[in-house]
Amino acid sequence: MSLLFPSHLKFTEDHEWAELKSDVATVGITDFAQSALGDIVYIELPETGTAVSKGDSFGVVESIKSVSDLYSPFSGTIVEVNKELEDAAEKINEAPYDSWIIKVKVSSVDELEGLLNSEDYKSHCDKNS
Amino acid sequence: MELQKTVLSEDHIKLEAKMAAFAGFSMPIQYTSVKNEVTSVREKVGIFDVSHMGEFLVTGSEAAKFVDFLITNDFFEVEDYKAVYSPLCREDGTVIDDLIAYKISNDEVLICVNASNIKKDWDWISNQAQKFDVTLTDQSNDYSLLAIQGPNAPELLIKLGIMKKDEIEQNTFPYYSIKRVSLEGNQIIVARTGYTGEDGFEVFSPSPEMTKRLWSQAIENGGTPCGLAARDVLRLEVCYPLYGHELADNITPLDASLKWTVKNKKPSFIGKDFLASYEPKYKLVKLALEKGIPREGYNILNSNEEIIGKVTSGTLSVMLNKGISLGLVEKEKFPKDKRFFIQIRKNIFEATYQTKPFFKGGHK
Repeated sequence: MSLLFPSHLKFTEDHEWAELKSDVATVGITDFAQSALGDIVYIELPETGTAVSKGDSFGVVESIKSVSDLYSPFSGTIVEVNKELEDAAEKINEAPYDSWIIKVKVSSVDELEGLLNSEDYKSHCDKNS
Repeated sequence: MELQKTVLSEDHIKLEAKMAAFAGFSMPIQYTSVKNEVTSVREKVGIFDVSHMGEFLVTGSEAAKFVDFLITNDFFEVEDYKAVYSPLCREDGTVIDDLIAYKISNDEVLICVNASNIKKDWDWISNQAQKFDVTLTDQSNDYSLLAIQGPNAPELLIKLGIMKKDEIEQNTFPYYSIKRVSLEGNQIIVARTGYTGEDGFEVFSPSPEMTKRLWSQAIENGGTPCGLAARDVLRLEVCYPLYGHELADNITPLDASLKWTVKNKKPSFIGKDFLASYEPKYKLVKLALEKGIPREGYNILNSNEEIIGKVTSGTLSVMLNKGISLGLVEKEKFPKDKRFFIQIRKNIFEATYQTKPFFKGGHK
């Protein structure tokens, strides 16, 4: 099964995806990340209202055998958290790009420039697999 | 350093297993999903390539006597064709490794050790062997090892031509038995042992061709390939210790609550003088969490939030769907109220303290 790298999204080297609409970014983890982690069984989410800087850990995702930090692609304030995942973390395996984790009201849309497009992210993954 | 490969390496890659370095070997970590693999072993039958494990053959008139002196558990008095689990200790009681010794006869013993400790064990054992009439051979690269585990394992072994139907029906090959089997001109060693808590077998094969054939036939007959990740969950659900986690170079078997493996009534064994009068510093505890997953290194706390120990192994139990862990707690700080807490990052969760294993496997 081949992994998906949707072209309308931006990516971090730490395997988060982000979609910016006006000044709110929706953030999740990529298909590559969920596949590498295996069965995702637990997620630790931040509180709404938490301030984050680009690159900060905002939560944790756990598979049966591993613990991975989630890193924010943007600086800003977390305005929404996908609480549904707390009882259904496996949805990230099933549909990583529909299973958004947080929404961030970004401080500066210029930070978008620092993220990878799908092609560059794919070659980053090819190098690391 | 180039990773060693098992003879089944190509088969794993064909099955699209996730491979990773483990103890110098490239090993399959998982094939499909850990959940699927664990469930297969508990309900049907799973097959594991554990060829990274080390095998030492001890032969000579004093073979059983030597192994009895080497390990803390009883061995000399054990019947032929039986296996024994034991720690291997230094004079000061600290644990070099834990192993299974398979007694073929008083003149011939096969020792199976952890892959990560092969060199350390070999150096220790060969040095000790000088005082005995024994010949020691490192056969780690000669044998492949397949573990076939689960309630359908006996049936699968019959199909593979390794077990006979009447041996299973009349139970003449019970848990922890071993035997030699001649299969297509190859002498294989079969043991009813394993690391999953289920009924099952371990097959030592000296022929790469036969190993490959057994692996393929096991899959054709319903065996689910299982990786090291599932193996770790399985052993933790039934609370089997793992060297490097519950056991280590700086503690004794008594600290890991393995008193049943230290037989002070034996005339002599390495570490006896020390262990006979030793008061353990730690106690191994079994702790479960309803929320959160305990992991190695997390702090164990008492009700006053004081650190009293550390988690040595932790995972999500596939069968119970909750966090389970083993941990070492300082004996002096063992809480009288038996209330234990585990710190996960910034949060503290109360754990359920258990005296029995989290899950009861189907062996015996």
